[in-house]
Amino acid sequence: MTILHTQDLTKAFGGVVAVDGVTVEFQDTLINGLIGPNGSGKTTFFNLVTGMIRPDAGNVFVHGREVTAWSPHRIVHTGLGRTFQICRVFPRLTVLDNMLVALRRTRLRELFGGLGNRADVERARTWLTRVGIDHLERAEARDLSFGQQKLLELAAVLMAEPSLILLDEPAGGVNPALIERIADLVRDLNAEGRTFLVVEHNMDFVMNLCNHVVVFDRGRPIASGTPAEIQSDARVLEAYLGV
Amino acid sequence: MSGSLFAQGLALGLLAGGLYALLSSGLTLYFGVMRVVMVAHPAFLFLAAYTTYFLHRVTGMDPLLTIVATVPLFFAVGIGIQRLLVSRLAPESLAMMSVLLTFALALLIEGGLGVVATGSYRSITVEYATSAVRVFGVALPIDKLIGFGIAAVTFVAIFLILRVTRFGKALRATIQHPTAAMLVGIDTNRVRGIGFGIGLATAAIGGAVLAIIDPFFPAAHWDYIGKLMAIIVVGGLGSVQGAAIAALLLGAIEGVVQVSAGATWAGLIFYGFLFATLLLRPQGFFGGRLAERF
Amino acid sequence: MPNASDLMTGAAARRAAIVVAAAVLLVYPWIAPNSYLRYAGVLVVMYAVLATSWNLVGGFTGYVSLGHAAFFGLGAYGTGILIIDLAVPHVLALAISTVGVVVFAVVVGLAAVRVRGASFVIVSIALVTMMSLIAQDARELTGGSSGLRVPPISADLDRTSNHLLFFNLFAALLFLAALTWWFIDRSRFGAGLKAIREDEDKAEALGVPTTAYKVAVFALSAGFTGVAGGLYGMWFGNLDPIFLFSIIVGANMVIMALLGGVRHLFGPTVGALIVVPASEYFLARFGETQIHIVFSGVLLGIVVLFMPDGIIPKVRVLLRRFGPVSSSIREETQQEFRDRQGVGA
Repeated sequence: MTILHTQDLTKAFGGVVAVDGVTVEFQDTLINGLIGPNGSGKTTFFNLVTGMIRPDAGNVFVHGREVTAWSPHRIVHTGLGRTFQICRVFPRLTVLDNMLVALRRTRLRELFGGLGNRADVERARTWLTRVGIDHLERAEARDLSFGQQKLLELAAVLMAEPSLILLDEPAGGVNPALIERIADLVRDLNAEGRTFLVVEHNMDFVMNLCNHVVVFDRGRPIASGTPAEIQSDARVLEAYLGV
Repeated sequence: MSGSLFAQGLALGLLAGGLYALLSSGLTLYFGVMRVVMVAHPAFLFLAAYTTYFLHRVTGMDPLLTIVATVPLFFAVGIGIQRLLVSRLAPESLAMMSVLLTFALALLIEGGLGVVATGSYRSITVEYATSAVRVFGVALPIDKLIGFGIAAVTFVAIFLILRVTRFGKALRATIQHPTAAMLVGIDTNRVRGIGFGIGLATAAIGGAVLAIIDPFFPAAHWDYIGKLMAIIVVGGLGSVQGAAIAALLLGAIEGVVQVSAGATWAGLIFYGFLFATLLLRPQGFFGGRLAERF
Repeated sequence: MPNASDLMTGAAARRAAIVVAAAVLLVYPWIAPNSYLRYAGVLVVMYAVLATSWNLVGGFTGYVSLGHAAFFGLGAYGTGILIIDLAVPHVLALAISTVGVVVFAVVVGLAAVRVRGASFVIVSIALVTMMSLIAQDARELTGGSSGLRVPPISADLDRTSNHLLFFNLFAALLFLAALTWWFIDRSRFGAGLKAIREDEDKAEALGVPTTAYKVAVFALSAGFTGVAGGLYGMWFGNLDPIFLFSIIVGANMVIMALLGGVRHLFGPTVGALIVVPASEYFLARFGETQIHIVFSGVLLGIVVLFMPDGIIPKVRVLLRRFGPVSSSIREETQQEFRDRQGVGA
């Protein structure tokens, strides 16, 4: 069933229409891909869906609920998480503290309990082990390598137990071994029931990982289907090659 | 409130708005060039006023002529501040630390002025500017007219520099995208230094104007900082035109309120506008697309 | 990685230092040789409270408020006016006034935290300047520029016992403020606040309700500051709008917290311990001139340019130079990487 859909979603910056009346649906249990040339509106689309910017027009629905113009943290609490194109972690907090910031809905009492709330720390450690950086638990995030930070960012997002995860260029600037690891992780998490929406430029990554791909060009979707269908679609080739 | 009183207040307010416009253009430059909120700008304004005052007292020089001496001096100081102090701040905490640093500068200047010149009010009266012209029944004091004129001319000059000259284009490029500017060969460090210098030069000119139109004392710069900040927030950050429009508008309103309800309320309207803008439209009203949030 | 015995002596040393400091704090008013030093002692503790309260906002969220004196003044005037005009008993007046300050802070905070960074600083400056203007102007209420006299808490309180009483009251308030800071530092609330400082948008994207958090800690900080203001009014007796709503007072709070170190529990207190005696010295030496303003400016400039993390980290680095060599995190992970060849990293 539909986990995320938008209706006539529009956002313009000055004279540039970044997202142009986008009506699109994404199904759950899938690893969805979102590709398109630079400037086609993919990251703006992410920002609109996650509440970081307000649309000029249109609506966003997550799990069938309208979340248009909700503040980002409220949208997160509906079960949505996202990573950023330029990996963002909290530089001067330790890896463990980075994990513990991520909140599901908490009761007031839990807010003032010590950070050492055992259940949460255990959960954090489990995720850190799963992505492979548990040995860095007490390091400050800014001392981590770029790849380690990417893994940390993903692990922190997972702490909030999202059912829909938006990944913004997860393979960007990362070495092939790590790309493989991230792809495996995504597959495992998907098998456990989590839905993904991945923006990527790395075509191999997208085509090998995703089961459904939507192509954006100049602010609107121009094609959607399986990776095979997309790769042979004339409109897609035209958009990418600019013919 | 009678029509003539209203017109009087409006006229005086507009004249004051001219000076505000000049000063806020300087502030906009600092922010655009270095993302620095130069809280010490009004303090330098008063430093310039004192310098003009003492030069006038000691040498008998016409206060407006002192601009010839103070402008190059302040320009150099501006470059120095940017090169030696501001550029030392770490980029990730620049917004915060630059405010604190310039705040420290303001304290230094205020304290220094207080020690050297004591807290008594100072003012200069020039013989040719003691009367007023009457236009449509409104009395326009000549000293304020002169002040407005100088401020307006300087403002237009700066605007033209920014728009027309090659340096101005380099400055605007550095403001909009420092990395891209560097990539096309602009020496952004030099540009930044000069931008700062221009900003302080406007303080020098403003100071000379201030010296002849109003009495001043060291601690008065805090009032100015509130007003100027309100003006650039209402006008929209990074927009020189926006700041000018806001300056004239708020100056006019201040003038009207001053003649009807007194100086305190006149001062308070700036803060009212500041909070209202932050609540309703934090990116300001007149800045157009260039305007951004801090 | 420092070895276990180092960690133990480090923590033990810190604990010992705190105990010694607390002991000194408790006996100081009794052993101070004259009235002036007793007065100065009260001043130090009061500023320690102010700086620690400020640090609840500044240290955790990174939002620098240069106008915190607004709450100080409000607390003082609120308490004073309730006592003088409405004959409310002192303690009750303090309580009511504090509630008022907190409510005010929530309202102002909701507007103020809509902006960040330097804009927020400007808003705080605007707030305190505004209050200063209003206070000087509202003669009937505040006594205008000539000030207000608050009657002492009890008629038979002589100067010495007055200083003694308020020294202890401020010390108790400092203890409360420090305890609050300590609790927040270790809580999830605190982690959220620190995340806001590091990357506010990212914190929001992880589910932290940033506006609610910011306003909450802002109001908390304002509350403590307001209580300090009320106590000051009762202790000093004389309310002067220029001092109470002074940007310089607000700046000093910031300087003390920065100087001592905003990331440490007692950083602001250390800052107060350094700055207050120094500025009292300047006042005594150079009288009523503006030299102390120059001093504040120079000190703030030095701290910002050369030790933005405060004095405590610098001292630690110095002490560590005399301790055993520790290895960096990087080396450790390299080592572990070699051990875990091919697995992970």
